Amino acid sequence: MSADRTAALLWSATLLGAAAAAATYLVYGGPRFWANWLLWFIFLLSIALGALFLVALEHLVAARWSVPLRRIAERISSLLLPLAAVGVLALGSLPALYPGSRPEAAADPVLAGKASWLGLPFFSVRVVACAALGLLALAVLVRGSLKQDRDPDPRYTIRARRFAPVGMAIFALSISQAAFDWIGALEPKWYSDVIGVYLFAGAFLSGLAATVLAVLYLMGRQRLQQIRFDHVYNLGAWLFAFTVFWGYIAFAQYLLMWYGNLPEEVVWYLPRTGGAWLPVAILVFVLQFLIPFFALIPMDAKGDLKRLRWVALVVLAAHWLDIYWLIFPVLGRSLVFSWPELGFALLFIGGTLLCLRRAMELGEDMPVGDPFLKEGLEFRL
Amino acid sequence: MNPEGAPFPLDLPEVLRTRPLTVGEVTPGRLDDHILAFPARVPPRKWFIALACTASLMTLGLALVGYTFYMGIGVWGNNSPVFWAFGIINFVFWIGIGHAGTLISAILFLFRKRWRNAISRFAEAMTIFAVMVAGMFPLIHVGRPWLAYWLFPYPNQRGIWPNFRSPLLWDVFAVSTYFSVSLLFWYLGLLPDLASLRERTGRGVRKFAYTILSCGWTGATSHWRHYEKAYVLLAGLATGLVLSVHSVVSFDFASSIVPGWHMTIFPPYFVVGAIFAGFAIVLMSLIVARETMDLKHLITDFHLEVMNKVILGMSCLMGYAYVAEGFTAWYSMNPFIQHTFLQYVWGHYGWSGCLTITCNVLLPQLMWFRKCRRSYPWMFLVAIAVTVGMWMERFVIIVVSLHHDYLPSAWHNYRPTLVDLGILAGSFGIFFTLVLLFARLLPMIATSEMKADLPGAQPRHGAIHE
Amino acid sequence: MSETFAVLGLFDNAEALVKAVPGLKALRLGRLEAYTPYPVHGLDDLLGRRRSPLAGMVLVMGILGALTALGFQLWVAAVDYPLVTGGKAPTSWQAFVPIMFEVTVLFASFTAGLGMLHLLNRLPFFGHPVLQSKAIRGITRDRFALALEADEGGAGFDPAAAQAALETAGALEIEWLPAPAREPFLTAVFIQRSLAGIAVACLVSGLIMYGSVQMMPVALPMRHMLDQPRVDPQQPSSFFKDGHSMQLPVAGTVARGFLPPGFTTPEEAGRLVNPLPRTPAVMARGRAAYQTHCVVCHDPLGTGLPSLSAAYGAKPANLHTDAIRGYPDGQIYGTIVLGKNAMPSYAADLSEDDRWAVVHYVRALQRAQNAKAEDFQ
Repeated sequence: MSADRTAALLWSATLLGAAAAAATYLVYGGPRFWANWLLWFIFLLSIALGALFLVALEHLVAARWSVPLRRIAERISSLLLPLAAVGVLALGSLPALYPGSRPEAAADPVLAGKASWLGLPFFSVRVVACAALGLLALAVLVRGSLKQDRDPDPRYTIRARRFAPVGMAIFALSISQAAFDWIGALEPKWYSDVIGVYLFAGAFLSGLAATVLAVLYLMGRQRLQQIRFDHVYNLGAWLFAFTVFWGYIAFAQYLLMWYGNLPEEVVWYLPRTGGAWLPVAILVFVLQFLIPFFALIPMDAKGDLKRLRWVALVVLAAHWLDIYWLIFPVLGRSLVFSWPELGFALLFIGGTLLCLRRAMELGEDMPVGDPFLKEGLEFRL
Repeated sequence: MNPEGAPFPLDLPEVLRTRPLTVGEVTPGRLDDHILAFPARVPPRKWFIALACTASLMTLGLALVGYTFYMGIGVWGNNSPVFWAFGIINFVFWIGIGHAGTLISAILFLFRKRWRNAISRFAEAMTIFAVMVAGMFPLIHVGRPWLAYWLFPYPNQRGIWPNFRSPLLWDVFAVSTYFSVSLLFWYLGLLPDLASLRERTGRGVRKFAYTILSCGWTGATSHWRHYEKAYVLLAGLATGLVLSVHSVVSFDFASSIVPGWHMTIFPPYFVVGAIFAGFAIVLMSLIVARETMDLKHLITDFHLEVMNKVILGMSCLMGYAYVAEGFTAWYSMNPFIQHTFLQYVWGHYGWSGCLTITCNVLLPQLMWFRKCRRSYPWMFLVAIAVTVGMWMERFVIIVVSLHHDYLPSAWHNYRPTLVDLGILAGSFGIFFTLVLLFARLLPMIATSEMKADLPGAQPRHGAIHE
Repeated sequence: MSETFAVLGLFDNAEALVKAVPGLKALRLGRLEAYTPYPVHGLDDLLGRRRSPLAGMVLVMGILGALTALGFQLWVAAVDYPLVTGGKAPTSWQAFVPIMFEVTVLFASFTAGLGMLHLLNRLPFFGHPVLQSKAIRGITRDRFALALEADEGGAGFDPAAAQAALETAGALEIEWLPAPAREPFLTAVFIQRSLAGIAVACLVSGLIMYGSVQMMPVALPMRHMLDQPRVDPQQPSSFFKDGHSMQLPVAGTVARGFLPPGFTTPEEAGRLVNPLPRTPAVMARGRAAYQTHCVVCHDPLGTGLPSLSAAYGAKPANLHTDAIRGYPDGQIYGTIVLGKNAMPSYAADLSEDDRWAVVHYVRALQRAQNAKAEDFQ
């Protein structure tokens, strides 16, 4: 398919999706519209932040095998720019979806103490601050790397390595803010201190899966020809390892809340494991843990391009379903899935692919100015 | 742009250059002669002095354990409401120490980090000794230790089974699995080295012992093939254990509803803390070993620096966990949890919480500075601080939460007895006695693993197809 | 049949070894094996070995471990001795996951370790000829060896040709390994000694276990729970003046259900009314008490002619006399409580309810011996 036709297709999908989104607001009202908006925001944020985390991690531990692939992760993390706007707009969901942010919350004995934390003013400050910090990290890490293409000076690498711990702190702050504020506050009387780690696991997996898909896409287009089995194997191994990590965190949180059986904690799980939502919960576990785990156990499978392609797609779909399962039960006890969800999917998938198409032309396919590129290409297991 | 030929300065700035993993010329023969000579030599006097010190601590500890058996748990400080104190603190502390060894030998193996080779054998041995010391505590902290076999699910005339829904039983399974798998992994890693020792030793008891223990290992490629597969599989499985064992230990607390215990972040938080504490002990022991056994060319400054960086990273993660816990305690609007968290840093035991934060989060930040990463006094300061801080953290979690839980009429302070303190000191004695014995009886560095990664050890990639 | 098991060629670096393999393999002089101090990459592919089946074995055993753990826990907690702990249903699987995970890892790890060692590598085995060679010392240190081994049966193995081939391939030293003398493994002496050893081991361990099971509960500190600082019956006690641990109750102590009767003669008791209703249950109770305590003197039918009257000399009352039939219920009750003549007080033997039940039963006996015509309708 020619580039123009693809662009036209994506644009029409996006515009159609935007129309469907607007229609959702008019037909179903605020909550349904905002639930979808939030779902896609968090999902895409996980991907972008996950990719940024990969970049920062590589600089932090001075990894060399991943240098040839770093540019792909950097390009994906550039999604943070449009996502900042999406995130600020998502503040509109506060009255619709967040009981703790409404003025009535000040009257509730439990919520009164944190009404100022959950209320719109301070909430927005946090969202804007994290967006700003994320863009700062993007500027230092990604722009520096792009500049290094033309000006192969090691000082960009030194600067990136020095910034990496700060980048990690920014990532920790952003992902925790997203988890505690956007997800946790949906149920304002509920609390769990591991949700930051939970969303981190999902974000890392999504960022990694998106990177894998982008790498495989480019390899299919005869780009990134020097990437070998050894590199792809490492990507697959990390995907496998973090699938296990996600399963561990997800189950640990569930087990502890099930075991303690405290009303203020099970209030989160009861709607999400009852009635129509129970099959969704099971499906999340199957897609995000069981299938990738067993698919990636064999050593060959971790480096097999065909297998990694569908496993990465499953991981992304599973993460989307995970966020859906976290957010949508606030809308009601029966399953909420119909044309609005499909419309929003068109809107955001179309929009993301349009942004990514442009991003894939940023700089060279590999960070050619990086002093460790050659060593990275020669990497053997 | 030319992806391959883009020019960059041939001499990288010093900060970007990779450090060598060995110093000087290291050949397989020299490696063997250096490392495998230790089991054959009589140790120097300072080793005997060190052994005397640790063995006397050990004797003190074991004597006090015997005294506890004889008189009962009343000689400890445990009382209402702090029913669990030093016994469980020491258990969690020592199990945690073991995790660093498994991380180094298993997880770093899976990451193909070559710097692990010089330290993995020693670290794994420390895991096994730490788990042995840890396993002592659940045994002695029950009122009737001679009935401890009741924990295991065997058919009995009482007709009843142990409670599989209890985290205490999950602990029994987790720790025994961890011990047996670590022992197996360590032993299999030792096999080729035992074969080398066997060939280096003349007749006698030692030759007989090495012959039996090396199982007739010949180094045949058909054997190496299965061996390597088993090693990578065991490394993967041991990685799963690193995550799960300390998580199961954390379930001991997190599954209850004592305020301050029922926090969902406990599983990953405990695992990070375990690796943190373990690395500190491994670091200190390695510094002593490399100086006294002349191993500075194998356990280089690079190894120490990278371990310091790991300690720093873990310290930052611990800081995140503390912030997340503190925030959630406030956010929960639950007055019991909020009171407990205030008691952590304010109140009768406020000093323990402040000490924990200082030792675990503040002092290790010194490791941002290269000067500290390369100097023994700073390294020891941070490592000792981390050891103290991590023990104190368990004290904070257990004692402070228990002494002020839901019912104010049941609040009461806790005071450890001399027996408690003596057994804690004794546990260090047991651990370091075993470490000293290991350092002199078995090869401290995995020579076969190191040989495989020396420069020139493997055929060049093209050589096979010429 | 050749007496040589193998011809060994020694190299001093891995690359030389690896370069020598393809040529030697092509010559087909015997089975090719390499001995190295550490695993050399790519060597087993060159030697044409199949991949290790260990991974599949481990996966299967791991899954078996998970199912075993789950099945066992479910059976124990939901089938064999169901208990509700913590308000959780007996079949709640969530609490079983941690142990399932650990047992999976346990099964998988031991399969990997012991399967590799015993099943696949057939170790421990101390009879391999290489272990007796001069080269083994170098092999475990820093030398690399290629061995051309005689195939099974040893037919057609030419050691001299093998040596020549190895030398051409670059071997620095050559060693011929003799085949070990074959001895029968299972001799009569071996079997006898093994059986004797097993018998001795069983005997010794049995004695140890018996001794410890007998001794342990009564050895210190296990005895401590038996030797408690409390007063046991029949023990001397320094606390009381008379030195006994068992003391009589203080004067005036009344046991529950045994309050003083409130009358001094059976006639005075006549005013009491039987509080128990005349139900079959009460009758059965009265019968049981009568047959236990009263039959010995008063005979099952109440006539007072039991088998023991000769031994006593005293004459138990015939309960069917007009006098006794005329007693009010309370007087019979009072006689039971206070006794009469040779009859002792049965107050301690019968509770209050039992006494009244006996009264009902006695009345029934009396009516039975003096039945009127209408009683049979």
